[in-house]
Amino acid sequence: MSASPPSSFPTSVKALPRGLAKGFVTVVVAMVILVVLCLSFAPSSISAGALAGSLPFASVLAIVGLGQMLVVQQGGFDLSVAGGVSLSVVLVTHYPAGDDAQLLPAILIALACALVIGVINSLLVGYLRLNAIVATIGVNALIYGGVFAVSGGVPRITTSLLASIAGGNHFGIGNAVVFALFALIVVAVAMKKTTLGRRFEAVGASPPLAATIGLSVRRYQMMAYVSAQLLYCLAGILIAGLTTQPTAFQGDPLLLPSVAVVVLGGTSLLGGRGFPVSTVIAALFLNQLSQFAYAVGVPYSAQTIIQALALGFGIGIHSIRLPNKNKKLTKQSNPEETNETFVS
Amino acid sequence: MKLSSLKGQTALAAALMTLTIAGSAQAETPSWCGPNKASLALLDGYGGNSWRLVTTASGAAEAALCPSITDYQYADGQGNTQKAISDIKGMAAKGVNALVVFGDAGPAVLPALKSAFGAGAVVVPYRVVVGGEEGKDYTKFVGSSFVDDGISWGNWIKSILPDGGNVLFLSGPAGNSQGTDELAGMKQILDDKYVFINPAPFDVTNWDPALTQQVLSAEIAKNEKIDVIVSDFGPSLVGALATFAKFNRSIPAIATSDGNSLGCFWEDNHEANPDFKLFTVATGNDNVRLAVQWAVAAATGGTPPADKIFKAPVFEDSVSGKPSAVQCRKDLPGSIYLSAVMSGDDQAKAVNK
Repeated sequence: MSASPPSSFPTSVKALPRGLAKGFVTVVVAMVILVVLCLSFAPSSISAGALAGSLPFASVLAIVGLGQMLVVQQGGFDLSVAGGVSLSVVLVTHYPAGDDAQLLPAILIALACALVIGVINSLLVGYLRLNAIVATIGVNALIYGGVFAVSGGVPRITTSLLASIAGGNHFGIGNAVVFALFALIVVAVAMKKTTLGRRFEAVGASPPLAATIGLSVRRYQMMAYVSAQLLYCLAGILIAGLTTQPTAFQGDPLLLPSVAVVVLGGTSLLGGRGFPVSTVIAALFLNQLSQFAYAVGVPYSAQTIIQALALGFGIGIHSIRLPNKNKKLTKQSNPEETNETFVS
Repeated sequence: MKLSSLKGQTALAAALMTLTIAGSAQAETPSWCGPNKASLALLDGYGGNSWRLVTTASGAAEAALCPSITDYQYADGQGNTQKAISDIKGMAAKGVNALVVFGDAGPAVLPALKSAFGAGAVVVPYRVVVGGEEGKDYTKFVGSSFVDDGISWGNWIKSILPDGGNVLFLSGPAGNSQGTDELAGMKQILDDKYVFINPAPFDVTNWDPALTQQVLSAEIAKNEKIDVIVSDFGPSLVGALATFAKFNRSIPAIATSDGNSLGCFWEDNHEANPDFKLFTVATGNDNVRLAVQWAVAAATGGTPPADKIFKAPVFEDSVSGKPSAVQCRKDLPGSIYLSAVMSGDDQAKAVNK
């Protein structure tokens, strides 16, 4: 397919529902198994109260995961997720300093910073052609410089308005969950139902081919990095509201899970199609896995091992390719290998 | 007095020192302050939270009480062990007479301490155990008795729950010595009637408010009866305690360390939560003062203080009101510690700079 003309896109798209089914089915089956395990061994972990306590954090992870997914779709990695979230946390706590009236300006400042960081990332990756990992880890260090400059490493207490927005409920559903659903709908509809979104995926699947048919690869990469930062910013605002007295490093624990949920959701690390719904379910899965481990009461060391094994299993299952009568055809239309051909 | 700085925080410390000196010029010189002139440096392994800011300002204020200290410097290792080691060696190379070191990295900084001590500097590590021996690797280690904190909590728990009960103990990173010492202290007081319902030795929270909230949610869902929660970092509980409302349960009794945000949270919520009693020990910002006293005494030829270890005093008790009722200063930031010797207003300047 590496030599295919642009007209071969439809063929590629036809082959992709198999990928969608596999990623989606894998994560849903894993989730169902986990729920059954929870029901059998730790029913408290899926009680209404436990879910009310843990779902807001799953929502934060889902939002961060959606941002990371957009970057991964363009064949990149965004290691500035930790800095992006942390900067947002300190901005929306430091400037208001407990004053509700200052919250909106602080949020606008945080969004503006996210925009600038996204543009810097995309310039480094898209225009200067730096490796995404190297570029974003450097930008992450710069962002942390900003975190220290703003806060001295110490965020202030959340304003009561932000605490009620992020931690409140409507009709029994946490507001953080509503924000995550909103982010999911926006990302999914924009990606799957608009021309821009379809082109975004096509560019990620094969930048050279996209360039051949006249699509601006850099523009779509910029879209990915900027949108990702805006999503990290939203996640940071929610964490600031949820934790009341956050630290200045609240984004750090989200870095690895953000990549994990993207991979568990079935999005190829080589770029191409994204699976927003699967990514969000994967975030729920990881969150519930933690709750399961807490509820079972296993030692901390065992908790981390259980999570690592589940993650390894989830990622490994995507590499298993069952024998197929149409093996030759499948191989020809395998988007990952196609990408490898183009990338190399 | 010559003041110099390595980091921005020093500006505040220097200002505080100058102010304090102006005020204390006529005050009596403390016995630990000898006649010999000396320079002093405070070295942090990690200075990036409000507790450290207040502690650093407290250390500077204590040093300022001694007119023999001619130069005060501060360095922040920023959580980087290499930088912390380099800071210690750098200060010793510059000829600073006395080093007070918060060795966050533990035994990893011991060779640097040993090297500075060998070069003739007075070296006083404090609070975090760094290994080694006093007199051989450094001058004096000024520890903090976390076992005593555990004993204080245990006595209070016994007083409010004489017939026993379920205890949930939360601490920081897995295996941290502070948590295990506190547990040992509690177990000296609490017998088998008191059941620790967390996985042994404690629920791991990394002192991260987000993780604390997730762990607490799971524990509340799992345990229908939690009589008392023990945590060694009270302020990180504030966001998490609201979780009880989601289960339609009263917040239980809490034994922890103090923080203005926690005191104000108790004030706002104890009426709606009949079981919410609060007991705190001082968070221990003043541990640094004792360490500075030891370092200054050794460097200036003063009399060493009587205390060899810092014992965090009991601070608040909502039941007895002794030694203090629960304190809340809503006009000041939540991230200050009213148990510290430094006044709340001065702490607010330290954390809001």
